[in-house]
Amino acid sequence: MEIIMPKMGDAMSEGKVVRWYKKAGDAVKKGEPVLEIETDKVNLDLEAEQDGTLAEVSAAEGEVVPVGGRLAVVLAAGEKAPEPSRRATDRKDSVKHSTGEYGEAVEMKGPRVDRAAAPPVAANVVAIPAAGGRRRSSPLARKIAADMGVSLDQIQGSGPNGRIVASDIKNVGVRQAPSPVAMKAPGGQAGAPVLHAQSVPLSAMRRTIAKRLAESTGPIPHFYLTADYDVTNLLSMRTQLNEALGAKLSVNDFIVRAAALALRHHPAVNSSWSDDAISQHGEIHIGIAVSTPEGLITPVVRNADQKSIADIAAEVRSLAEKAKNRKLQPHEYQGSTFTISNLGAWGIEEFTAIINPPNVAILAIGAAEARPVVNQERQIVVRDRMKITMSCDHRVIDGAAGAEYLKTLRQYLEQPIRLLL
Amino acid sequence: MSEMSYRDAIRAAMMEEMDRDPSVLIMGEDIGIYEGTFRITAGMLKKYGAKRVIDTPIAEAGMVGTAVGMAMLGLRPIVEMMTVNFAIVAADQILNHAAKIRYFSGGQVDIPVVIRGPHGAGVQLSAQHSQSFESFYAHFPGLKVVAPGSPADAKGLLKTAIRGKDPVMFLESAALYGMKGEVPDDPNFTVPFGESRLAREGRDATIVSWGRMLQLSLIVAEKLAKDEGIELEVIDLRCLRPLDMEPVYASVSKTHRAIVVQEQWKPFGPGAEISASINERMFDELDAPVARVTGEDVPMPYARNLELLATPHEEHVVAAVKRVLYRE
Repeated sequence: MEIIMPKMGDAMSEGKVVRWYKKAGDAVKKGEPVLEIETDKVNLDLEAEQDGTLAEVSAAEGEVVPVGGRLAVVLAAGEKAPEPSRRATDRKDSVKHSTGEYGEAVEMKGPRVDRAAAPPVAANVVAIPAAGGRRRSSPLARKIAADMGVSLDQIQGSGPNGRIVASDIKNVGVRQAPSPVAMKAPGGQAGAPVLHAQSVPLSAMRRTIAKRLAESTGPIPHFYLTADYDVTNLLSMRTQLNEALGAKLSVNDFIVRAAALALRHHPAVNSSWSDDAISQHGEIHIGIAVSTPEGLITPVVRNADQKSIADIAAEVRSLAEKAKNRKLQPHEYQGSTFTISNLGAWGIEEFTAIINPPNVAILAIGAAEARPVVNQERQIVVRDRMKITMSCDHRVIDGAAGAEYLKTLRQYLEQPIRLLL
Repeated sequence: MSEMSYRDAIRAAMMEEMDRDPSVLIMGEDIGIYEGTFRITAGMLKKYGAKRVIDTPIAEAGMVGTAVGMAMLGLRPIVEMMTVNFAIVAADQILNHAAKIRYFSGGQVDIPVVIRGPHGAGVQLSAQHSQSFESFYAHFPGLKVVAPGSPADAKGLLKTAIRGKDPVMFLESAALYGMKGEVPDDPNFTVPFGESRLAREGRDATIVSWGRMLQLSLIVAEKLAKDEGIELEVIDLRCLRPLDMEPVYASVSKTHRAIVVQEQWKPFGPGAEISASINERMFDELDAPVARVTGEDVPMPYARNLELLATPHEEHVVAAVKRVLYRE
């Protein structure tokens, strides 16, 4: 508990410490005088308001302290010390002049307090005031928000003390503009959320996570999550559809659609990293790793979440053919927002894939195999299983977020009727 | 055009005007036989004689009072102050007489007096001789206050001052006397008062400055463009009164951020006036508070190292730029 300079009458703005009865480290009892202060009218003793230890003496005898300023801290047993009060710190400056007859470029090191500067503000500390509190915002930001009909209430400010600045509003404006996806009648999944393009400003924590992880493992800090899916129903449905339609749908076509639909629930996975912000994309374009004699290329199925499995199958086949003949146009292999690599046809049980920048995640699809598993009735049964490993960019996706995506993916793969809705 | 120092540009302006108009004369301490403490008037006594290049006693109030009387009777005197600091001895003549006689005379009498001399810090002249007076003189209606930041502007603005009909405080940056630059040779080249100049085009933030701080700002702008891709727009005010803020407003409406760089003390300085004007006119365009870079709030030290510490340097401007860009 702090002892502060009390306000004794309206006119009082400061008071002086006359003497300390206790010194730091002394035990004090509730009601016991700790120090004497002097105001412009009276001298009086200030008492401890609780039993404890005088942990900090914040003002020396003779020092003048403003009303409300901390004089001392009394800690009860087990109580933790409050943050030390902020003090101006001297900065070491390198001083250089290079103009006119001053121009002999004198350089020197020395302490200089820049009183002209605003008080230091920790970079990117975002303080969101309590509901109903005033939101700090720049005049320009307010003007832009009013012009765009955007409310400041839900915007996170990236400036000092959470100040909302113009760039924060502009990013929100992009999100609130009707996106092409929202305009179209969704070609898939009633009830699935609609994505919006948006730029999520980097929080201080997100910046730190990004920096630290990148330092430890290279430009993209990867981590990997593997899930084992029951694809018995999916394989069965594929057989039925191929027979009924006379089609040649591959397992991968189902996975492309499932992955795309699952992305609509997890915009953070369908995004890109940059040093200033994470761009969440408003559309879902799935890159599909195709091996060619020259090497790997990833043609892109655009708006895959809005296409039927049959459409995806036809498109992938055409793209793969072009890829093998080196006929892909740039627009057919650029602009993916997420990538799938499938080595199931090679009998690979599971593997990890390297993220395809600027994507922040990739799925590595293993082979579907009949395997003995223990079912809910604790019986051993034969089921078709498939392992999928997701590589995540940890700058953007944390472990739980990646796991949530794989969990959503499970709904689509294990209840494949959803893929037809 | 020819390359010329700021010092030589000032002398050239005075000599061209003395050649053009026999009513122009100059007076001051040690400007004749000694040829000027800063050698601004070198050769002038020899060329124009003691009637037009007048060595005065150390009596600034007398000098300005005499000049005001000369101006009332049709001459165009230039008064050289050994440093502008000494003009405060003549403050009553400047503020209460030169600045007010046209008003008191109902517009019948003009006072075309130019009071000029080295101004500001940077040449180790200590606390009494290194001060900046922009805000002091620009406060008063009836005066013009000019602060050139380049040799060409020094020449063009001084010629406008000599040809005008108002008392002018012509504040020369002592630290720029040796600075060289291209200066038009045309004897009719003048720079009008009250026209701020776009000194550098940019997009990210606007620096407003004048005099020596203009040169500092330009150096910082080039450095930030090269090192960090920050493109600063720099506005050179050139005159503090009349003060042309329109280019500043236009620039701020583009960059949404402004920094004023002034050499001396922050309280009540020109930066406060400029910042307040931006707030009044451009409030809705601002994405960050207007920043001020100023000297330290102390009498100017004599010691070289301390004088350097007391005046703005490049790192201070860089820090202010980053502050308004939220890139700290």
